[in-house]
Amino acid sequence: MMILFTVLTFIIYRLAKLVYSKFAVAVFHPLLLAPILLILLIKGVNVSANQYLDATKWLTHLLGPATVAFAVPIYKHLPTIKKHMGTIMISITTGTLVAIFSTFALSKMIHLKSDFLTSILPRSITTPIAIEVSKEIGGLPTLTTVFVIITGLMGGVMGPSVIKWLSIKTPIAKGLALGMAAHGAGTNKAMEYGEQEATFSSLAMIFAAWITLLWGVLLIPALIHMKPLF
Amino acid sequence: MKLTVIVLQVLFIHVFLFLGAALKEVIPLPIPGSMFGLILLFLALYFRIVKLEWVEKGAKWLMAELLLFFVPSAVGIVNYDEILSLQGAEIVLLIGISTVIVLGMTALVAERITGRKRGEQH
Repeated sequence: MMILFTVLTFIIYRLAKLVYSKFAVAVFHPLLLAPILLILLIKGVNVSANQYLDATKWLTHLLGPATVAFAVPIYKHLPTIKKHMGTIMISITTGTLVAIFSTFALSKMIHLKSDFLTSILPRSITTPIAIEVSKEIGGLPTLTTVFVIITGLMGGVMGPSVIKWLSIKTPIAKGLALGMAAHGAGTNKAMEYGEQEATFSSLAMIFAAWITLLWGVLLIPALIHMKPLF
Repeated sequence: MKLTVIVLQVLFIHVFLFLGAALKEVIPLPIPGSMFGLILLFLALYFRIVKLEWVEKGAKWLMAELLLFFVPSAVGIVNYDEILSLQGAEIVLLIGISTVIVLGMTALVAERITGRKRGEQH
């Protein structure tokens, strides 16, 4: 089971990536196409989603070492970080605050249930850290994972249009925005722009995670327990 | 050969993941073990305890295939009927709007600061 489903997941993921590189249309995004194909496949052979998840959990586990791996770009780009520390800190602090407040306000507008609300607030950062923040503020980790993925998908798909629309020119702004708004999927997109964009995107992703961890303790609990203003 | 190098390096990166998890047990902060692992690997690289060549290829692979590790969780969405219901459409719309705002604001702030810096140099 484990080997079969891992190999299948890998092949379908590769296939989706190939399709997306040929036709860069949103519906073919690997994070949309691959899961849809896999859902159809497991339904077809009568395997439950939980059985599939159990067989492929070590793939999800690789998010852990993948987070650790981000030490490498930080180390390699230390001079760049030092040079642009101010820009990175100001942009990402703004980004994390905008992410939390806009998500909170919109969630209130659609009257989201409280466990959904706490699960959706950390959605703009990379999964392993989002799960941690979610647990800290009383959310459901699996639900958070889903919201993080939808976020990545949205950012990866709409990111280039927003960048074009706002006529963002500098690689630093493009990279920071993609990494801040769409974590890993954004960084994946940033790689298509170039080395510099990819670097700033991975830095944005890491800084966003750190700063959001801080907000998870300092800001979000107060926000959730705040009395309604209207 | 290339695959062997990647596998070995990914396994080596796990050492830092486990060290990070151990550190988390000692330090009572709401920081995940993988984040401690990141800091430890960075320090090891910085103080030349670990050479860049020992981890570079494995790390590059892990970061390049990041989307793959999300795929099983994305399949798990089927377990949440609510996501697929009407509220689901609202949630997706919410995330879409918020993501565009976050992306736009971050890009504008970063572009503004970079532009100003460039202006000062002239």
